[in-house]
Amino acid sequence: MCKNMPPLELAIQFHGHICPGLLMGVRVAEFAQQYLDVSPDQDEELLAVVETNSCGVDAIQSILGCTFGKGNLIFKDYGKSVYTIASREKNRAVRIVQKYQAQPHPDNARYRELNRREALTEAEAAEKENLLASIFERIMTTPFEEMFSWREVDFALPEKAQIYPTVQCSICGEGVMEPRAIMNGQLYVCPTCA
Amino acid sequence: MCEANVYLSRSGQEELLMEGVDRIVPGDDNSIFLESIFGERRVVKARIKEMELVRHRIVLEEIQDVEVKPHQELWLEPDTNHGHFHPGEEARMKLFKGFNMRPDEAASMEEVEGFVMVNGRLQEASLHKHHDVMEMDLGQELDGLAQIYVHQKGDTELYATAVMEVGHHHHHGLQPLGLPLEIVPLDYSHARLGENYGLQVLKDGRPLAGAEVKATFAATQSRDYPHRLKTDEEGKCRLFLTARGNYLFSVTDGNITTTYTLIKSF
Repeated sequence: MCKNMPPLELAIQFHGHICPGLLMGVRVAEFAQQYLDVSPDQDEELLAVVETNSCGVDAIQSILGCTFGKGNLIFKDYGKSVYTIASREKNRAVRIVQKYQAQPHPDNARYRELNRREALTEAEAAEKENLLASIFERIMTTPFEEMFSWREVDFALPEKAQIYPTVQCSICGEGVMEPRAIMNGQLYVCPTCA
Repeated sequence: MCEANVYLSRSGQEELLMEGVDRIVPGDDNSIFLESIFGERRVVKARIKEMELVRHRIVLEEIQDVEVKPHQELWLEPDTNHGHFHPGEEARMKLFKGFNMRPDEAASMEEVEGFVMVNGRLQEASLHKHHDVMEMDLGQELDGLAQIYVHQKGDTELYATAVMEVGHHHHHGLQPLGLPLEIVPLDYSHARLGENYGLQVLKDGRPLAGAEVKATFAATQSRDYPHRLKTDEEGKCRLFLTARGNYLFSVTDGNITTTYTLIKSF
């Protein structure tokens, strides 16, 4: 890649497609970066606690670099579009909440209806495309405070993620991270076999 | 209350299509654009059947699968999915004829002439067919912003224009080419998804107000152009870019149709 990919493109590339949920996540990621005055994460300088596992989280991963694999993306399964982004260097954290019915426009309901259908006619596919374009523009241009609220929070940052040794399960023979293995006498047993 | 409810008449049955409509724009292809006071927008293939203004009621009649043969236009696309070329790389453009970025392979490509302008210097560029596609070789010597155009004479004069970046960081210094009808990008360097992109339409070098500029993109699901813009008094219009890849803008005035391909690096 000979040019830096803009954040929005990064998010779409990572997520695979454009959808309203992802775009809301883009707004959150860009706001958090600006609010905390931080660069995208390289090695756990940032940490994100996300209270949903919906599309927007992929924008957090791709734009802020808080990823599942690095261990600086903590998922709390609360079903809430709430994102807490913390910076180790700045020792600050901001909790960003998507307002209830942040996008009440009738286009959104119609888009969801078409999106739920398995097959669309040519006219409906074109309509869905037009709706997404309108929703896209609205999400990216609506003032942030109309869709989200935020506050700075005290946040005790955990230690950076550790790398643990792998031990062998005595039943299936597969490797398992040591703290996840269960001791059966002197033998390790993985959670699948236990 | 000035807005109206719009109903669609379909096989003798009327159904409510949109409430609180305050803007209706008929297109030239049997389409009708509707916008409500709530910001809802929709395009339907229909004709206006009845307008009861006192009752704030407008009835449209659906037009079923009417095949309208669209006019044809020429457009250019780069022979790269990278969005730009590098110095020393063979820069090549492809030329298509059709509508809404859908090529009509049977269309005539006779008597097409190609030109390229870099740093204010205009030169002819040869066009040839390669695997049934017209190609324009720009060579390996280019470095800068290449303004490319193709012209085909006929009852309808067709022009296709594009700006091709060769090398990086050549974002400024665009000048109008001086075509009879031309679409000029206002700020080439800001062509990013999720941002506004501005254009100006010039006729004989002067801004053309009130012109309809159609806009589309390669992956559109619409048979017709998905966007229709109107130029303001300065001949300017803008589009919020919501699709990845390249965009095509098209304008027709009299017997001239000109397109401009926006080539995005991303």
